[in-house]
Amino acid sequence: MAPLLVALVALVGYPLIKLGYDSLTLGDGIGNYVTAVSGTAAQRSFLVTIGSSALVTAIAVIVGFWLSWYLVTTTKAWLRNLLWVSILVPFWLGTIVKNYAFVLLFARNGVINGLLVALGLEPVGLLYTPTAVVFGITYSLIPFATLAMYAVVSTINPSLVIAARGMGASRFGAMRQIALPLATPGFVASGSLVFALSIGFYITPVLLGGAQSPFVASVISANVLQYFNYPVACAQSVLLLLMAFVVIGAAYALVGRDRLVKALA
Amino acid sequence: MTATTRRTRLFDRLTRVAGAVVLVLILGFLLLPPLFVGVLSFANQEHFGFPPQEWGFRQYIEIGDSPAWGRAVLYSIGLAVPVAVLSVLIVVPAVLAIERSKLPGRRGIQAAGMSSLIIPIVAYAVAMYGVYAEVGLLGSYLGLVLANTILAIPFVLVTAGAALSQIPPDLELAAMTFGASRFRAWWQITLPLLLPAIFAGSLLAFVTSFDEAVFINFLGGAGQVTLPKAIFDSVRIGVDPVITAISTIFMVATSALMYLVARLRRR
Repeated sequence: MAPLLVALVALVGYPLIKLGYDSLTLGDGIGNYVTAVSGTAAQRSFLVTIGSSALVTAIAVIVGFWLSWYLVTTTKAWLRNLLWVSILVPFWLGTIVKNYAFVLLFARNGVINGLLVALGLEPVGLLYTPTAVVFGITYSLIPFATLAMYAVVSTINPSLVIAARGMGASRFGAMRQIALPLATPGFVASGSLVFALSIGFYITPVLLGGAQSPFVASVISANVLQYFNYPVACAQSVLLLLMAFVVIGAAYALVGRDRLVKALA
Repeated sequence: MTATTRRTRLFDRLTRVAGAVVLVLILGFLLLPPLFVGVLSFANQEHFGFPPQEWGFRQYIEIGDSPAWGRAVLYSIGLAVPVAVLSVLIVVPAVLAIERSKLPGRRGIQAAGMSSLIIPIVAYAVAMYGVYAEVGLLGSYLGLVLANTILAIPFVLVTAGAALSQIPPDLELAAMTFGASRFRAWWQITLPLLLPAIFAGSLLAFVTSFDEAVFINFLGGAGQVTLPKAIFDSVRIGVDPVITAISTIFMVATSALMYLVARLRRR
């Protein structure tokens, strides 16, 4: 156990503590936080990051529930295999390849605009927009959302829904009144994980949002690598960490550790 | 049949069709992007455009013409191999302690081991940047190996932990009843049974390091170009069609490794 403990202390614990310490002692001290959130560009970056991540979370958990429900209830082996492959494909592709795929789709001379022009329509500017970033992050996080959701949905007995329908509920009503309430812990666990991961994404905002993309990750990277403003980058990083901890902590309090760990494993 | 039940049936059928339509859209969203990359890697064009006019192996031939890609692949492998070895050496003894001992705080350490998975990666990269600047590891090979190892640890932890919890401790107890020491029981009974999972975990660690693209931007130096970094730098500037071919090879390679991992874990 000792090597793991050393690795965790030296490479997780110490860096995070130093990050917090540096954010308060270097540069302008507490003023780093003021700089981190003042100015329209900085404020906009936090708003865009939080708003986009909320949208990503909403889409990913709905997709996750949809896929899990079909996984649990389908009797067709080919459909179950197809579902598993589709869920795992984003995992298997590699970070950079996934994002490149969306660049190909969204670029000015890319696939979507090529199809639009072929249909006699005007090309649209998709790449380097927050919408492109939302698509990219959602794609990367659907596997996480789905596995977390599946851990809960697979414990729901589908006969309950059949029984509800036998007693006169519509298909929609049975889903809404029986399946969805039972899946609530899954929505909490997978939603919190997706949100926490989403706010820290770096590759997707840069490649799909452009170098000047209004995401906190891009601002932080510019502060570290271009302006050498490490103290403010520390403060912005601490704010991201706090958001992630609050969301994960709330989920922990609501659904317990087991469901969160199961969501990751 | 009353009017109400007829209306309910119609509503049910609509719900069912709508559900299936949404499912098809979701599956298309998940499967089409990589499919486009693969198909478009066989477009013969100097500048990317859609639809391509001509098909062939031009992009694949261009990879061979530029030695930079080969160097990037070798550098990535040179990082990923020690990461795979190191993360197994760190995690396997810990997994034995977590699953087989009653040490206090062992579940806490397990959870802490997973933490690098859920820390917002850009914040983590800044934290590592601060530490590496302090101890002089910025732009160093060792620094990248250590940083990628901490990202790989959760995957080995999960894979080996799940496998070990399936191996009955009675086997070790039986070996010890016949006179084996505790260490010998682990070494000769448990470890061989755990080997497929360890191998699967090390493959996951390899892929995690090979694919790593954030730390390299913050912690890597000018001379340290991994394959993800090379692709990232190229895509940042524009859409070079060669990347479609490189990405396709990348996808096929990682998918093959991940498939192998899935097969090993199922055993």
